[in-house]
Amino acid sequence: MSLETQLSTDEKILTIHMEEKFDFGKVQDFRDAYLNVPDSVDTIVVDLANTEYMDSSALGMLLNMQKTMADRIGQFRIVHSRPQVAKILKISRFDKKFDMS
Amino acid sequence: MRILVIDDESLNRFLLIHMLEEAGYTDCFEAETGREALQLAKKIKPDLILLDVIMPDTDGYEIAPLLKKMAGDIYLPIIFITAMDDQVALARCLEVGGDDFTSKPFDKIILTAKIRAHARTRLLSKRAYVQNKELNYFRNGVEREHAIVEHIFANALNINKSVAHFFDYRLAPASNFNGDLFLVEPSPSGGMYFLMGDFTGHGLASAIGALPVAKAFQAMAEKGLSVAEMASTINHTLLSLLPGDMFFAAVLTEISSSGRQFSVWNGGMPDLTVISKEGEVTKRFCSQHMALGILEPHEFEENVEHHDANFGDRMIGYSDGVIELTNIEEEMLGEEAVMHWLSEDPSIPVEDISHKVEKFRGKAQQLDDITFVSYTCQSLDELKPEYSVTQLPFEIVVEMDVEKLKSFDPTFELVVMVCSQLGMQSVRSDLSTVLSELFNNSLDHGILRLDSTVKRTTDGFFEYFEQRVERLAVLEQGHISIKVQFEPTTHTLTVTVSDSGDGFDYEHIAVSNDNEAFGRGLPLIRELCSDLTYYEGGTVAKATFHLNI
Repeated sequence: MSLETQLSTDEKILTIHMEEKFDFGKVQDFRDAYLNVPDSVDTIVVDLANTEYMDSSALGMLLNMQKTMADRIGQFRIVHSRPQVAKILKISRFDKKFDMS
Repeated sequence: MRILVIDDESLNRFLLIHMLEEAGYTDCFEAETGREALQLAKKIKPDLILLDVIMPDTDGYEIAPLLKKMAGDIYLPIIFITAMDDQVALARCLEVGGDDFTSKPFDKIILTAKIRAHARTRLLSKRAYVQNKELNYFRNGVEREHAIVEHIFANALNINKSVAHFFDYRLAPASNFNGDLFLVEPSPSGGMYFLMGDFTGHGLASAIGALPVAKAFQAMAEKGLSVAEMASTINHTLLSLLPGDMFFAAVLTEISSSGRQFSVWNGGMPDLTVISKEGEVTKRFCSQHMALGILEPHEFEENVEHHDANFGDRMIGYSDGVIELTNIEEEMLGEEAVMHWLSEDPSIPVEDISHKVEKFRGKAQQLDDITFVSYTCQSLDELKPEYSVTQLPFEIVVEMDVEKLKSFDPTFELVVMVCSQLGMQSVRSDLSTVLSELFNNSLDHGILRLDSTVKRTTDGFFEYFEQRVERLAVLEQGHISIKVQFEPTTHTLTVTVSDSGDGFDYEHIAVSNDNEAFGRGLPLIRELCSDLTYYEGGTVAKATFHLNI
């Protein structure tokens, strides 16, 4: 099942909505979600509002996205992390690498 | 037209009825005595009465009021027939309830003209009666519907009693239904949320939007979402729900478990003000956004303001119905007046402020809903979630052979099983992550012998997962066993994962730098649980959690 994505009307922001579980089972879906974005996109937002838990492979996937897309995308944001997910991101110092709000 | 003639003299009755029939009134009845007349009237329900004044048993003066009473709300014309010409007697006819009189000998033209005139009035009265009845019926229907809706609102918009006592507040709707909304909910982390808002207009039409807002707010508070996300969700809900000319100005506030830190999203409400014990304004949360239900999701701004207050500081908020209130001279109350009262007496209760507001309004009509909310920074220790933990020592063992390893991931169900035990919910997300890490380590490295350094390049990252799928498909032997144990005396939960692989050199595990897409698992586990130990050459991993009570 593919992940829900949303393109802003000016086609500059792509938002990827993650599901309840964010782990290695999502590798393919997650890559599909960002790989074929239109050239107009300059910001990728990963919305974790529905995510109840993630593991280290999810962290790897986020970093991998950043590496793959760094030359095309100016800003990567992680939004709506719940406290327990925010804790994992913080432990892994992702707050230094991603714009978290 | 049914006419009842009441006269004790049969000749008079005969003459009258004959005259009436000639004039076209053929539906006539006659009665000889007052008593007979009353009985007959009850039965035939006449439209008009011709009544003789002087009769032997009960005279016309006595009967007239009885007949009128019998007719109830509909006008029953009574015309007295009299041979008298004394003014006092004639006036008395009208005083006892008669509507007209006609004198003997009868004049056909005058009498029929009078009958026609009174018949018209009766017809009007009958119409009014029917319309009144319809109106009453309609009014009762509306009242009943209002009562039902009020009941639903009262239940849906019930202020959460467990936290309401931290607030001093007052809502004064301008009509039955309130377009202002005030809701409070505890947060899972031991703090609180409150929402104060104002729908366009007032009354039922504006209150109707409060239902979905309240339900969404309560559900999101329970999940512990941020105020920015709450605002965004409510905006989205209202955008699809409300007509274009209706929106919802609102301020959403989270009060942290410390009781004195605020996160505020204010869209279109008057300033939310923090004042010190001395009455000095220390912070104003001005409206930074448009009201909810206007902007499309991509236009929506989530900026939230934060503020650290001191214990004893007071946060005050109110709807625009307060500052836009006008008195009989059409002067507006204004924000300055409210601030002045607060500076004069920084601890003035909301009730006293309301009295001042009422005094200002005087005899002028209240045109908009008025809401006043005050919170004084205090300890919220009583909201700390209390965990009572099961007294039962338990152990869950899961053995995964090759077939099971190929077909499913046991971690999710195992976590659900553990967390269904009393008090285990608090460890749910940490346990999910740790269990998933340990299981995947055993499967990836112990059983499938995958090498994490493949993940170093971006292509390798995906290659790693492709290899994983391929190797799992052709796997012929191997097993993983997971044991979860709980020891209630020490509140210790241990997770032991062992695999049939060769183990690894756990003492010399490479520490990856922040940019690598691998090697984050072990440090993460070590942070999330209180202890992680490897045994038997790295084939057995044991993670320990201490539940915080």
